[in-house]
Amino acid sequence: MKVLIIEDEKTMAFEMEASLKKAFYLCDLAHSFKTGLEKLKLNQYDFILIDLSLPDGDGLDLLKEAKKHNADAAYIIITARTNLKDRITGLDLGADDYLPKPFYLLELQSRMQAIARRKFNIAEDLLSIGNFKVDIKKRQIKYELEEINLSRKEFDLLSYLLLHKNRVLTRVQLSEHIWGTFVNDDYDSNYIDAHIKNIRKKLNCHANTDWLETVRGVGYRVKN
Amino acid sequence: MRLSTKLTLFITGSKLAIVLLFIITLPFLVEQIASQFTNYTLKQQRKEVLKNINKNGIVYYLQGDESYGSYTMLKEEFVALLPVSGNFKADTIKDAQRIVENDTLSYRILSETFKFENKNYLLEIGKTSASINQYNKQLQQFASYVLVILILLSIIIDLTFIRMVIKPLSKIIKSRLINMKFPFKFDEHPVKTSTTDFKYLDESLALLMNQINEAFYKEREFTSNASHEIMTPISILQHKMENLLAEEGLTESAALAIIEMMKTLNRLKKISNSLLLIARIENQQYHDKEEVKPLDLFNLIIEEISHRLEEKNLNIQIKINKDVVLRDINKDLLYQLIFNLVHNAIKFNREGGSISISDNFTTTGEYEINVSDTGMGISAEQLPHIFDRFIKSNAAENYGYGLGLTIVKSIVDYHHLNIKVESKLNEGTAFKVVFSNWKKAQ
Repeated sequence: MKVLIIEDEKTMAFEMEASLKKAFYLCDLAHSFKTGLEKLKLNQYDFILIDLSLPDGDGLDLLKEAKKHNADAAYIIITARTNLKDRITGLDLGADDYLPKPFYLLELQSRMQAIARRKFNIAEDLLSIGNFKVDIKKRQIKYELEEINLSRKEFDLLSYLLLHKNRVLTRVQLSEHIWGTFVNDDYDSNYIDAHIKNIRKKLNCHANTDWLETVRGVGYRVKN
Repeated sequence: MRLSTKLTLFITGSKLAIVLLFIITLPFLVEQIASQFTNYTLKQQRKEVLKNINKNGIVYYLQGDESYGSYTMLKEEFVALLPVSGNFKADTIKDAQRIVENDTLSYRILSETFKFENKNYLLEIGKTSASINQYNKQLQQFASYVLVILILLSIIIDLTFIRMVIKPLSKIIKSRLINMKFPFKFDEHPVKTSTTDFKYLDESLALLMNQINEAFYKEREFTSNASHEIMTPISILQHKMENLLAEEGLTESAALAIIEMMKTLNRLKKISNSLLLIARIENQQYHDKEEVKPLDLFNLIIEEISHRLEEKNLNIQIKINKDVVLRDINKDLLYQLIFNLVHNAIKFNREGGSISISDNFTTTGEYEINVSDTGMGISAEQLPHIFDRFIKSNAAENYGYGLGLTIVKSIVDYHHLNIKVESKLNEGTAFKVVFSNWKKAQ
């Protein structure tokens, strides 16, 4: 899938590009309103990531303009602006999602996956891992025909790991996905361990969960 | 004591003192006036007598006698004439005693010698002292009555006037100083007064408050901008580390080092986020017209953190009235507030301890939520500072970054709620949040 990253902080754009390339996205970069618009007129993209504060214009205006040329693309706004008003305006203008800086690249990828599933009808909703089948849409996990009862957070955690199969996810990345950029300044990521323990306990009654791996000192990984 | 009372008391006191002094010195004054007046009348009478002698001749009075004396019936006044030797001279007014018809009386006597047809005569005109002082007492009494009435009248006038003059002052205090919430929102109209000092005071206060507001806004803006600006570099670092971590062939030690860096960065991110949140609350960027059921909120929070209760083996009791609805409040912020309190109750609790969440209605009709724990407690020295930024409740251990309760405080202030803390070291802490805007659900 083709992605246009419009972000004036070059270092940040490069890092985003590096991460997305690994996930097999084709990336194009623009560092200003003007070059962004030029590229939008020339090419068709599947994803357009727009930073709101560009040196030569407002990202929200670019979004409006972009919609004319790339109506089918999925738009994600990326910004350090956290004003509720900006967020609402962005979404009203037709953005599909909104990510406040700083975000984790994996978070961006899973948002993109979610949008892709929704917008481009990619049937990734049914995943299988070990002897388990996971329906992301229905939020169900089954062993053969038997449904396993996971709590909301447990399911979120497991599906996030599944969507980033074969990557080590740190506790902080996981906790931020589940709780968002949160709340108490020292809400610790140790609670991820408690959730993983519970998930293992619930799944182990049915079959082994070797695929859910603990990476010492780092975090967790789902191995294929 | 109020200024008007003080002024009135002072004015009354000083008036009373002066009047008292006047009344005390009144006899002396009256005596002085009377004696002056007596002297004057004596001299007048002397003139009259001499005029008569000149007219009628001295023989007309002496009628062959050695001397002449005339006494009124009451012996109050007398006139005496007697020839004296040629070298005797007198011209005095003095008090002296005279025996008149076997009574010794004290008189004020004018004595004067004069020549008439080459003979020397002594003229004496006397007036009894008793008759001079006869009005003293009445005068004093009368003066006292009049003075008392005058004082009462002037106090009433003073009081009314002082009240009227001072009124703008209490208005300045009421409209500028009392019940002011920070940042100050005061009405821009100057207080109406013709007193220059009050005008000056009012203007100075308005100016001062403006300056304080400005400084406050600047500080807030700085916090907001700084936290904001930090976000982009944090993003970049975060992305670099993430990409590094995803690289193949990374050694374990390198991965652990990156994780450590990410943790530190995460801490920076959270501090920045918290500061931004506080700045946003203080900038009133939240809508606060929602209605919230506290019980729902607690259930949500408990669901969110139940695993942490299990982990520390904590027992939690919730006794929250299911009918209460809080009004005019921002749901997200209230969630944040209560979350932080419950979070602290867990964090600072001991293994196997308990948390009690309850509510009640105060006698003044307010609704109160109480979150108490059986934790380590807060020392008396620390207690006044727990809501300050960057002050840790326990310096020895690294408990958070000191912004959780600051967020609580800014949410409380934003909604004009009231928060109270009670704590005993090693026994536990209880937070009480008081809401005045609530109703019963239908």
